[in-house]
Amino acid sequence: MTRVLVPVEVLAGKTVSPGLMQLLGTVDVTVLGYHVLPEQTPPDQARLQYEERATAALEDLGQEFRTAGGAADHRLVFTHDREQTVDRIADEVGARALAISGVTGDIDSLLVSLSGDVAVDRILDFVIEVIGDREIGVTLLLAGQPEAGSDGRLDTAASQLREAGIDVETSVSTGSPFESLMDSVPNHDAIVMGESAPSLRSLVFGDESERVAAASVGPVLVVRSDEPSDDEAV
Amino acid sequence: MSSEPTGTNIEGTAPDAEHVVETDEATITDDAELERTIGLSGGLAIGIGTMIGAGIFVFPGLAGAEVGAAAAASFGVGGVIALLVALPTSELATAMPKSGGGYYFISRGLGTLAGTVIGLSLWLGLVFATAFYLVGLGFYALDGLALVGITVGSSPETIVSGIAVVAGIGFTVLNVTGTENAAKLQNGIVALLLSMLLAFLAFGMADALGFVDAGTPPGEARDVWAIGPIMSVAALVFTSYLGFAQVATVAGEMKSPGRNLPLAMIGSVVIVTAMYVLTIFVATSVFTQDALAAAGETAMVEIGRALLGTPGALVIIVGGLLATMSSANASILSTSRAIYGVSKDALLPRWASRINLKYGTPHVALGMAGGPVIVLAATRQVQLLAEVASFLHLIMYGLMCVALVAIRRDEPDWYDPDFTVPGGPVIPVIGAVASFGLIAFMDPFSIVVGIGVIGATAGWYFYYARDIRLKGAL
Repeated sequence: MTRVLVPVEVLAGKTVSPGLMQLLGTVDVTVLGYHVLPEQTPPDQARLQYEERATAALEDLGQEFRTAGGAADHRLVFTHDREQTVDRIADEVGARALAISGVTGDIDSLLVSLSGDVAVDRILDFVIEVIGDREIGVTLLLAGQPEAGSDGRLDTAASQLREAGIDVETSVSTGSPFESLMDSVPNHDAIVMGESAPSLRSLVFGDESERVAAASVGPVLVVRSDEPSDDEAV
Repeated sequence: MSSEPTGTNIEGTAPDAEHVVETDEATITDDAELERTIGLSGGLAIGIGTMIGAGIFVFPGLAGAEVGAAAAASFGVGGVIALLVALPTSELATAMPKSGGGYYFISRGLGTLAGTVIGLSLWLGLVFATAFYLVGLGFYALDGLALVGITVGSSPETIVSGIAVVAGIGFTVLNVTGTENAAKLQNGIVALLLSMLLAFLAFGMADALGFVDAGTPPGEARDVWAIGPIMSVAALVFTSYLGFAQVATVAGEMKSPGRNLPLAMIGSVVIVTAMYVLTIFVATSVFTQDALAAAGETAMVEIGRALLGTPGALVIIVGGLLATMSSANASILSTSRAIYGVSKDALLPRWASRINLKYGTPHVALGMAGGPVIVLAATRQVQLLAEVASFLHLIMYGLMCVALVAIRRDEPDWYDPDFTVPGGPVIPVIGAVASFGLIAFMDPFSIVVGIGVIGATAGWYFYYARDIRLKGAL
């Protein structure tokens, strides 16, 4: 089954919004509780002091996922480098996508960005699986300078989703992928995008302020560009 | 024999022990994982960055004043001893890739008394070393002030102490409150220093070998090519090599420790030894023994001036400031890890390793590093600070070699190093003899202070933690 990794800065009091928990009810979820330490501090030293508190918070989150109708296991990591940790755990659990939580209520519409050099099929497969048989609408967004055949990409994608019984709108923009995405956000409850779109990668892997910006527009689901073969996944 | 640590200290605290699985990317404990984030370049930067400050920028004048051109041999001897210890340390570190470095190896190989003495001596040895780097920084800052035209009045010594103390307070506060990525800054400083030194060396070698003539000052050459004085200077300048074992204090955070730990430790010793020997060769070619004696701690600045005029002096001053800062900062970081290692095993109170949630930094341990550093830096005793630091480290180095032999003889189940020192016990035995032997060439007063520190740490063990057993426990 498809697995989604939800990184949470657990000791900073960060949590997962109920809307995202509901949205992820159709897939397996691993909550990655992490705590980033300055280089002055050995991660083991922080573990000694904060492990109990962090584990308790993660167990509470697991309980909330069950209440929202889903299920989640968790990993707890003390690290100096958030990006390295997120990448490693995503590989180890074989995650198809990463989710960063944002403020949201019920999720009725997804904004799906197909801009840039992304694996469109992987994104669409993931969207179909997450939505399942629920009434969640999708807007497909293609931004950036048009290339040969890019119109076809949007239409093919839209019909693929319609075949799966999903309500689809399309939107084309010649602006930058990032700005077009932000402009389209207000009418949607969550964003789905591909990991390999470089200008969007900072939403998940960028510095603190960029991630806060991402969280403020609602949950963001990033479909990973490659996943390890089954025998590598633990 | 149980492989678990046993016993409690005077406060009833037991060592924190847990079964862990080490992978190339993380340490997996029962409920949490610890990411390994330091790569080979980070490890080399810790090793080189700690070592390069003292050796190249403070010692040429002091060492050249004693034995002239033979000082290059003294640095060579120091490098060989460092290499003889770096090899066994690499084997131990790949078998036990944990925070705490030398303390960890010795407490598991030779028992809790030796472990406590070394754990606390590593802390205090780093304190002496850091104070030495800060005094060096003070001398360079004084020269920098003079170069930009600020002359200090009748008491330049007071200014040196003042700068050293202020810098000590500054680094401590910076380490407690600074959460930015200083590792990248440290890597940059090391790269900049290496390129500056290479340029300086290239020009200096051209001068030394007679291709260019920089018009070096006349002087009377009195090179002392005799074993006794060369070894005595080697004992003094050995502080220049104290950085490689600091790589082991971050062993728990190194990626692929089986590969990166030996490469970082042995690589940094080889690189630094080559730089030192060449620099001393240049320094003693440009300035003869009596000219070096007159120039003192910042003789390198005068050499830079002789080779390249005022810009040369400026380059050396900037390099000296960066290098002594990098050494001091890297040592304060290692100190806090040394304190954490012994505190985790209940040999120091658990509160010594507390960290604060606001900055996420170990403020108590950093304070236990910075406080005594400031007091010692104010004394301005370059030679004493350097030798006591060397003494305490040499004891640790010798015991690490002994621990390697002891552990190999016991063949415990958990001992499975990725890197093995070739040649059986030959290298560790020579390393131990050389480490202990070098101490004999030190100034007697430095030896007395060093023995006093060792005695105090042993006393602490009998008072505080005599029931704790760590030998053989992983």
